[in-house]
Amino acid sequence: MKNIRSLFILLLTLLTLHSCVKEDYFDNTKQGNYEALWRIMNEHYCFFDYKKEELGVDWDEIHARYAYQINEKMTKAQLFEVLCNMLSELKDGHVNLSAAFDFGRNWSFFENYPENYNDSIAKLYLGHNYHIASGLKYIILDDNIGYVRCESFEEGIGDGNVSVMLQSMAMCSGLIIDVRGNGGGQLTKARKLASHFTNERLLVGYISHKTGKGRNDFSTPKAEYLDPASDGIRWQKPVVVLTNRAVYSAANDFIKCMKLCPNVTIMGDRTGGGSGMPFNNELPNGWTVRYSAVVYYDKDMQHTEFGIEPDVPLSLSGEDIAQKKDTYIEKARDYLSKSK
Amino acid sequence: MATMLLLTLHAFAQEDASAQLSTVNSQLNKEVLHSTMIGVGSSNVLDTYLSSYNYTGTDYRIQRETMRMTNLWKGRVANQSLIDVNADINENHAGNLDEYAGGVRYTQGWFYNFMNGNVVNPVERSHSRFNFAAGLSASGYLGVVYISRSGNNPAQAKADLMVNVSGMATYDMVIAKHHYLWRYQVSFPLMGIAFSPNYGQSYYEAFVAEHYDHNVVFAYPGNMPSMRHKLTLDIPIKRYTLRVGYVGEFHQSMFNHLKYHSYAHDFMIGFNKYLYRR
Repeated sequence: MKNIRSLFILLLTLLTLHSCVKEDYFDNTKQGNYEALWRIMNEHYCFFDYKKEELGVDWDEIHARYAYQINEKMTKAQLFEVLCNMLSELKDGHVNLSAAFDFGRNWSFFENYPENYNDSIAKLYLGHNYHIASGLKYIILDDNIGYVRCESFEEGIGDGNVSVMLQSMAMCSGLIIDVRGNGGGQLTKARKLASHFTNERLLVGYISHKTGKGRNDFSTPKAEYLDPASDGIRWQKPVVVLTNRAVYSAANDFIKCMKLCPNVTIMGDRTGGGSGMPFNNELPNGWTVRYSAVVYYDKDMQHTEFGIEPDVPLSLSGEDIAQKKDTYIEKARDYLSKSK
Repeated sequence: MATMLLLTLHAFAQEDASAQLSTVNSQLNKEVLHSTMIGVGSSNVLDTYLSSYNYTGTDYRIQRETMRMTNLWKGRVANQSLIDVNADINENHAGNLDEYAGGVRYTQGWFYNFMNGNVVNPVERSHSRFNFAAGLSASGYLGVVYISRSGNNPAQAKADLMVNVSGMATYDMVIAKHHYLWRYQVSFPLMGIAFSPNYGQSYYEAFVAEHYDHNVVFAYPGNMPSMRHKLTLDIPIKRYTLRVGYVGEFHQSMFNHLKYHSYAHDFMIGFNKYLYRR
């Protein structure tokens, strides 16, 4: 019996050593949801230092300022508005608050600027006989220049799709890739497309994630490379990529990579940015909050959160619009014709 | 901790070695107890990589257990293999998001039987109503937690390889000449390795870009205070034995500042049977 008593003492000791791993509880009240949102951002958001430097954002001061606006008598819609206003201070298109009745966002990165894209005019260039390879719409223009319209990186672009497209335009003297309005999607798809425009491994940037709750808890940035496509065709002729302020997130990363590829010229407006990889979390009332969680730098360890400058700045001219011409496409055609 | 336990077990063994041991019957070691149970109960999952809050709902479980005596330590060691599969369907406090979680755990354990006992078939092979055994086991787990919202962190993979300490007790309750066998088992992970992303690390970074950052962590009760309880009652019904019981699983971890827990309380029911290996 002595043995068994000892055994039970041992097991009991192990049992008492165990403590609970619990959630950090916040009440589902107006104040509780406010505090929960502020804290989620405080512990997870990855651009506080940069936003303080660029915009003067002081997250502690913001807490104090917006806390005065919270009371338990306010409606859900009013709470939503105050929380969205607080998040808007970060001027980050990847920061959103989602409720069943609304989607909180700050899209000033493109809403405050000229669109520089006219959908109905751009469609005239594609006509009706264009081809589609996994979301990439493409056609050969009259002057033997290939035109590719890439509206999103949500679709599964693969080496096969890109190669078929490039093969069909192999005789073209140059290529235009129009990503205006491309709000992003899958980073891997953006990189997949870019990999067909380099023959060498390129250092494209660095990546760093948070390693703890502290605002300065980050991993050592690690280099990221763009490897040339191992399957299919790699384009060797001049390329122009057209951008505007609505080029964001994975599309911004595409521009970052393409800018380093040989024979590639970026034309248009500055991109919208969005260099943080967004994660999701939620509030006690079920509203979903999205925030930038992982930082992507360029090859010089600079942020591209607020966009990338083009090699050749362009604006859509009113005169061209009146003639149903797209200034961007026309300038790109001129540029490629001279590059022959 | 593990060393202390092994020394304790060794001391038990030496003490008992002086007692006269019954002859090991090779036929006895060919006796295998098979048990299959299914169960349902409550689930409570927290994974702060995905959400700051608990998700609660229903846990579904299947357990397949095999036990037999071995020739180790003069025939006093029982071997247990256990496959445990569970699936959870949960929702958040607000009821607007669903979570699906589950996994498979495989465990191989060896139990030293005290007082000439036999926890495999105590009703027929033991002289005492009470039987006790304790030992170590090795387990491997693969699982996933998924929340039904888009984004770069919709799911979390779970994996560990652990050494566990476990205790088992049986009581043969006789009512109207029928033997009703109570069996209780408790297990604690002692040490091992487990997978975890870093605090804000994306799976893209870990697996596509291959930027590993403390993704394999040393696990011990300080950062993985977990335990598993199982209480069953074997009820003989003609040639078969009905087994009903309770399974309580309390898995917790705190790796890379990420909190995780998965609590499940299940009512289990199934059958067990003794077979003889050739």
